[in-house]
Amino acid sequence: MENKLRDYIEDLFKDAPKTRKAYELKEEMIANLIEKYRDLIAEGKNEEAAYNIAVSSIGDISELIDSLRESSVLTMDDPKERRKSALIVSAAVMLYILSLVVLIFIEEVLRVDNLGIIAMFLFVAVATGMLIYNYMSKPRYIKADDSLVEEFKEWKARKDSKIDLSKSIISVMWTFIVAIYLIINFVFGIWHISWVIFIIGAGIEQMIKAYFEMKR
Amino acid sequence: MSITSDLLRGHTDTIILAHLLKGDSYGYEINKSIMEKTDNKYELKEATLYTAFRRLEQAGCITSYWGDETTGARRRYYSITDIGRRVYENNKRDWEYAKILIDKLLKE
Repeated sequence: MENKLRDYIEDLFKDAPKTRKAYELKEEMIANLIEKYRDLIAEGKNEEAAYNIAVSSIGDISELIDSLRESSVLTMDDPKERRKSALIVSAAVMLYILSLVVLIFIEEVLRVDNLGIIAMFLFVAVATGMLIYNYMSKPRYIKADDSLVEEFKEWKARKDSKIDLSKSIISVMWTFIVAIYLIINFVFGIWHISWVIFIIGAGIEQMIKAYFEMKR
Repeated sequence: MSITSDLLRGHTDTIILAHLLKGDSYGYEINKSIMEKTDNKYELKEATLYTAFRRLEQAGCITSYWGDETTGARRRYYSITDIGRRVYENNKRDWEYAKILIDKLLKE
């Protein structure tokens, strides 16, 4: 009979989300119900009657199970966070573009040597710092429940963020390469050979990709 | 009876908190004591009881832990927090006040 009670609860939970919370609620209910059943038997009820009384005392738990489902929904896409992130990225991109404007302006209009390069690298450094900050402060996926599904989601989020990291490193690297290309050409005027830097860049990109592939 | 049970249901949280004031307890024990106190006239449905537990736990009024029963199923115990104590005191005061008002309003 006690197994029958257990089966009855298992059946009630068959559509429940497979989360730790749901599992714990189920175990809790089974433990309490079996104790109630034993008390009823001790009072002199026969097995059938005790089972029926125990089962009828449960009531409608569909709402309770639904509430378990709601609590496992993740709240990762905060529009405020997204807007902040968009703002940081666009400001960083703007700084990258401005860094070249500043370089050209100082070198060509003010005709001050070296200062332009320093200013440009300053801009680039700030912009890169902003991009890295944006990546680091992005909300990660936090486990809503200790279930396999949640673990998978977390793993996937982590994996995705690693891919994102390698992508952002590569894009920052290319920006640097373009910047260096322009600087050395403006400063030394070696247009005939400086294109080599792009081949070197392609090599570095492959190395970064291979590094992240290996780490995974 | 239906008005009575509606009224009582409205105070499920406070009833549970009142029981936990005396010490940690678990679902069936709480329900059993409710039955004993009301001479078997009133019993919470399990669904109502567990919904109240979740609600109280989320509000920080109670915390839960698993017992270490070696035989059979494990019990989940609940204990009241300081927040829970405050909520209980508030609710009790509110009820005393409402009782006086309703008595006045229903007087012939």
